[in-house]
Amino acid sequence: MTVSGKGVGASLRRKEDRRFLQGRGRYVGDIRPAGVLEVAFLRSPVAHARLRGVQKPAQGLVFTAADLLEIGPIRANSALPGFRASDQPALARDKLRHVGEPIAACLAESRAAAEDLAAACLPDYEELPAVSDMLAALAPDAPLIHEHWSENAFLETKREDEVADLDAIAAAKVRRRLRTARQSMAPIEGRGVIAEWDPRLEQLIVTSSTQMPHVTKSGIAECLGLDEGQVRVISPDVGGGFGYKGILLAEELVCAALAIRLGRPVRWLEDRLEQLTANANCREHFYDVTAWADAEGRLLACEVEAVVDAGAYSAYPFSACLEAAQIGSIFPGPYTLPRFRFRTVSACTNKPPILPYRGVARTGVCFAMETTLDALARQLGIDAAAIRAINLVPPEAMPYRNLVGKVFDSGDYPEALRRAVAAIDVAALRARQAAGETVGLGLAVFCEQGAHGTSVYHGWGIPFVPGFEQAQARFTPDGVLELRVGLHSHGQGLETTLAQVAHEVLGVDPARVRLVHGDTALTPYSTGTWGSRAMVMAGGAVAEACRQLGERALTIGAALLQAPREACVLRDGAIVQGEAKVTLDEVARTWYRRPQNLPREVDKGGLEVTAGYRPDPDTGTHSYAAHAVVARVDRETGAVVLEQYVIVEDGGTLVNPMIVDGQVLGGTAQGIGTALYEEMPFDAQGQPLAGTLADYLLPGASEVPDITIEHMVTPSPWTRFGQKGIGESGAIGPPAAIVNAINDALARFGAEVTDLPATPARVLAALAKVGAA
Amino acid sequence: MKLHLTVNGAATALEAEPRTHLADLLRDQLLLTGTHIGCEHGVCGACTVELDGAPARSCLMHAGSCDGATVRTIEGLVDDPVMALLCEAFSAEHALQCGYCTPGMLMTARDIVLRLPEADEDRVREELAGNLCRCTGYRGIVRALLAVLASRRRPGSGDPDSPLSGCLA
Repeated sequence: MTVSGKGVGASLRRKEDRRFLQGRGRYVGDIRPAGVLEVAFLRSPVAHARLRGVQKPAQGLVFTAADLLEIGPIRANSALPGFRASDQPALARDKLRHVGEPIAACLAESRAAAEDLAAACLPDYEELPAVSDMLAALAPDAPLIHEHWSENAFLETKREDEVADLDAIAAAKVRRRLRTARQSMAPIEGRGVIAEWDPRLEQLIVTSSTQMPHVTKSGIAECLGLDEGQVRVISPDVGGGFGYKGILLAEELVCAALAIRLGRPVRWLEDRLEQLTANANCREHFYDVTAWADAEGRLLACEVEAVVDAGAYSAYPFSACLEAAQIGSIFPGPYTLPRFRFRTVSACTNKPPILPYRGVARTGVCFAMETTLDALARQLGIDAAAIRAINLVPPEAMPYRNLVGKVFDSGDYPEALRRAVAAIDVAALRARQAAGETVGLGLAVFCEQGAHGTSVYHGWGIPFVPGFEQAQARFTPDGVLELRVGLHSHGQGLETTLAQVAHEVLGVDPARVRLVHGDTALTPYSTGTWGSRAMVMAGGAVAEACRQLGERALTIGAALLQAPREACVLRDGAIVQGEAKVTLDEVARTWYRRPQNLPREVDKGGLEVTAGYRPDPDTGTHSYAAHAVVARVDRETGAVVLEQYVIVEDGGTLVNPMIVDGQVLGGTAQGIGTALYEEMPFDAQGQPLAGTLADYLLPGASEVPDITIEHMVTPSPWTRFGQKGIGESGAIGPPAAIVNAINDALARFGAEVTDLPATPARVLAALAKVGAA
Repeated sequence: MKLHLTVNGAATALEAEPRTHLADLLRDQLLLTGTHIGCEHGVCGACTVELDGAPARSCLMHAGSCDGATVRTIEGLVDDPVMALLCEAFSAEHALQCGYCTPGMLMTARDIVLRLPEADEDRVREELAGNLCRCTGYRGIVRALLAVLASRRRPGSGDPDSPLSGCLA
């Protein structure tokens, strides 16, 4: 770190805090252009139907698909062999495929009046049998959601290592069927869109609460047949994303088309009912896992049949198969698995299209792998820590390429496990168990691939393969450093961390660094903030842009010092030769206002640099963590209390440890929600059954324990400062660790929880199944 | 319908449809957009304001039923000494990320500090049950509140030079 204590590695307080604390954040819902028309959507009340038409009210602005033929369908293809792409109409055309699918846009001076209009519309439809369960969707006689397909599946992937010989060899074999629930990511701010047509610039301006303004811009241009230059997307302050806002929205297309058509701004703000019912869109997995181990617990093989409920359409840009297909590549986790056989299916159902939620497939995979390991350990009579220690990739094997080709960059996985277990008083816990208390210890170890780029994604062939990241750095005439990046912050504190990176390179005080982001007109192209990539990619690009800017400043500063360039250095925000120095402010002033003082060899590009970055290799960083949980189960009520929660985490070099802790803590709270509370059930007709936050339970302050985080620091050899992507990590481990703790507590009854969330009802059912309730 | 409110110290005459809720009135007519709307059914707490001296869910209050009331929003508390302590502590403890729940969280936090000066961690967590945060995992929020409670219990905590006083620089 720099001597100032404000560079890479400093827990600098956030520059963005002040406006948020004073209620001066500016979110989509805070922006209300003059003459705006508010939009309410008429949405499908049923999961599966043939749509014959819509009877509109006599008065009022109501638009159906037939009125907006200029909007092309959303099509998120994948290059994976056998992938079936769906055409998702922005407004339903001939079929309704999930509850909440938009049918018509209703516009009025207020949202309330627009909702009145929507209520006055009469959709005419013929209901069809709904496919609400992903396993039933794959039955041969299941009704087809896309009728020209041969089955309700977007994609099937497989690997066929031989496992038939293992029964004869293995000391232990377990088989488990596991399920995770469908969830809603539920950022506290919902989605929101304002679309305006600027007749002077002949440009559509879409203000949207999105994590990826540039991808959204491209998607809008594609679907509306506009040049990309005719579309500008602005993403103001974003009230939480988590993947929920990493998508091209049907609502964005409709608002955009209406703004062009009507010549007036239009605005749609998602309400919580829309979010919960129309957009419960993640995490629903089924696993049938068989695992074999030798007498010491060494894994011999895993066989996995996995189905992911991908919903009705392939969402743009990540497609319908990202989770299921990824299961095949990430199931081995941090372990040295020698053989692996799998079949995964992305099932198509009458539910909202799947989106990748923080952790993406890893949360489900970690739950499946880690509960299976515990089952093996119980069968072998060995310790849960021991079975992990013997299978983890050892530090001396790094960088390590596993059997499916994932490359782990660095780290000491067994040490993370040792430290996590050491933080727990295991002897005391075992004594409590011996005394009859229903308490247990649960462990989970996992790694998180982040910031993976072209070499990983080109094989997926999704609409956007991430590659290089650019950043622009420039001095304004008063010496303020302006950074421009195309990805966006939705709580990560990039205004602070990227200023720290710039400070590290140029020495400019972070208070004099200004980040411009969230506007496609002002920033270089970027695929956005997702996949734990921002700090690696934008951090690397900002560092490189600042380095080049520093070179240019050095030339000018040396000339002002009348010293040879080689004799000068850039230090603490100044060009220095011995005792003499010229500040970067003076360099900036000279370039802009006193060009007569510039040296002949000055770079005519001035004090403005756009530089690009890509790690080499770009197969991704692997942060990793061990979670250790002590949980107490109430045998009477089935309630679970988390008594202790310990995380040992390695994110490489931490640019801002305070912010990293915040990411890990917030992710863990979400993982606790996945483990114990959050579930969007659907009935057999495909109706979502949790319509409020009183039914869909988010963890509150009393449900999240005081979590302890210990850091290990193993820099990535492949990134600019050794930093690793870590934003999703916290959300991956909790379901695995917590269910393992519950099952450790229930082990003396022979009971096991296999489905998420582990609600009191499921815990009691597990006990009842073995006659212990 | 016509109604009168005192909002952040200013008497205001307003007109609203009977179905308008207080949060929409504050945001749309008075442009007080610091009060956020998260669920509109009284669970998430993002819309919490001070209504006649006590915290209230502005999304559950019909504007018309508030006729004659005194309302304070986050914008009206910038100079409030307890709020200044809380803002400082929230920043120091990284008690906010996206900032969307933050104004409502601060309104509740201020009420906790004033009403329960002896509150311990369990009590603070219980009192925060009506305010959801999806980003932070609550640890920073709880620690910030405990820091402010502790600072106010210290002798001479009214001292303007004490380390936690003063709004964010």
